[in-house]
Amino acid sequence: MRFVDEYRDAELGQALATQILGEVEPGRHYKVMEVCGGHTHSIYKYGIDDLLPPDVELVHGPGCPVCVIPMGRVDDGIAVALNDGVIFTCFGDMLRVPGSEFTLLDAKARGADVRMVYSPLDALRIARENPDREVVFFAIGFETTAPSTALTLKRAKAEGMRNFTCICNHVTIVPPLRALLESPDLRLDGFIGPGHVCTVVGARPFEFIPADYGRPIVISGFEPLDILQSVLMILRQLRSGRSEVENQYTRVVPQEGNVRALEVMAEVFELRPHFEWRGLGFISQSALRLSDAYREFDAEVRFEMPGVRVADPKACQCGEVLKGVIKPWECKVFGTACTPEHAIGTCMVSPEGACAAYYNFGRYAREREAV
Amino acid sequence: MTLAAEPQACGAQPGHCITCGDEGVAMRVIEAGDLGALCQDETGERHEVAIDLVTPVRAGDELLVHAGVAIGRLGGDR
Repeated sequence: MRFVDEYRDAELGQALATQILGEVEPGRHYKVMEVCGGHTHSIYKYGIDDLLPPDVELVHGPGCPVCVIPMGRVDDGIAVALNDGVIFTCFGDMLRVPGSEFTLLDAKARGADVRMVYSPLDALRIARENPDREVVFFAIGFETTAPSTALTLKRAKAEGMRNFTCICNHVTIVPPLRALLESPDLRLDGFIGPGHVCTVVGARPFEFIPADYGRPIVISGFEPLDILQSVLMILRQLRSGRSEVENQYTRVVPQEGNVRALEVMAEVFELRPHFEWRGLGFISQSALRLSDAYREFDAEVRFEMPGVRVADPKACQCGEVLKGVIKPWECKVFGTACTPEHAIGTCMVSPEGACAAYYNFGRYAREREAV
Repeated sequence: MTLAAEPQACGAQPGHCITCGDEGVAMRVIEAGDLGALCQDETGERHEVAIDLVTPVRAGDELLVHAGVAIGRLGGDR
């Protein structure tokens, strides 16, 4: 199919890797952060890190919407799911995210009606088919996913649905990026920008990165050649002393984003004053909740929830992984106490998490083969 | 023809949550209706996709689909 096959050509990938090598300045080590969990997954699935020169280091950012959900919010979801008569719906990865005592999958084993959906519109359909049951959708995701939740709630309102609510955990990408750039722990040279978030929000929200911090950001597609070309574009900016927002993913990302999606989101959501991110703490105006006009669909209003902040297990170093301070194999419990089958932290639960990507694609140690 | 507006399972690969992973699936429109479009992904599997955010849509268009909703077009806006 067009737009996919030609972006996986191995010979072209090798050619791009050679060009990248040509842009590396002698004696310089580059740290480039890929923000999006989807990019992390592609990088390790296609072995892109092995194609890069040793002095170009990819650092994994907090763009995995499952990974950044704090345990307390999972407990809130479980509390709702355990209500009699509730049909609790969520995306697949949420089922195995640990709360303080157990997971949604465990709640299902204890008799809760927990169902995996691929779209919030599936959850709305379930509500239509079960008018005598309360159906709750646990919404997660960045700006890529928020429009689908917003559209679903618009339809629910138009249809006068009375048995459908949403626990909204949508987060926005710009505030954590700003928090990372302000962090003394991290020195980054550039960013591989989130291509599908930008399909919705456009390129303009990321202009603060070159403007305020002097770092380049290249909005990237998700195929291997996209990512390699984006790394090349970043290195070329650095070499020529430029820092700007460039769009590598022009076949998909319009400069202004999807205006209609932004309008729907503005109608249905408002910014929370602050929200807790696993590993990053509380970040101002970094997450969404339902607006006043949609309060009737807010599960946080309709249901009792513990609302308790829960500290991560002591052994868990997800926070440092999410900030790119350590690599997954540097976590003390990586691959031993913490595996995809028995995950302690969310970075291992979600296949888009850096730890799961490293584990599933065999990156257990520091050594990389020179290619 | 008005297609049902509800998307069906999007064929997530085992161990990989497309929605959680912030990915978009490239799909070609087979038939466009009032409320949604019947689309086909690269594996040949067909899905019903909500097209509210990218209309107008016609057969042959290539869309970027996430969580059962088309959020953009491939090849730039029309």
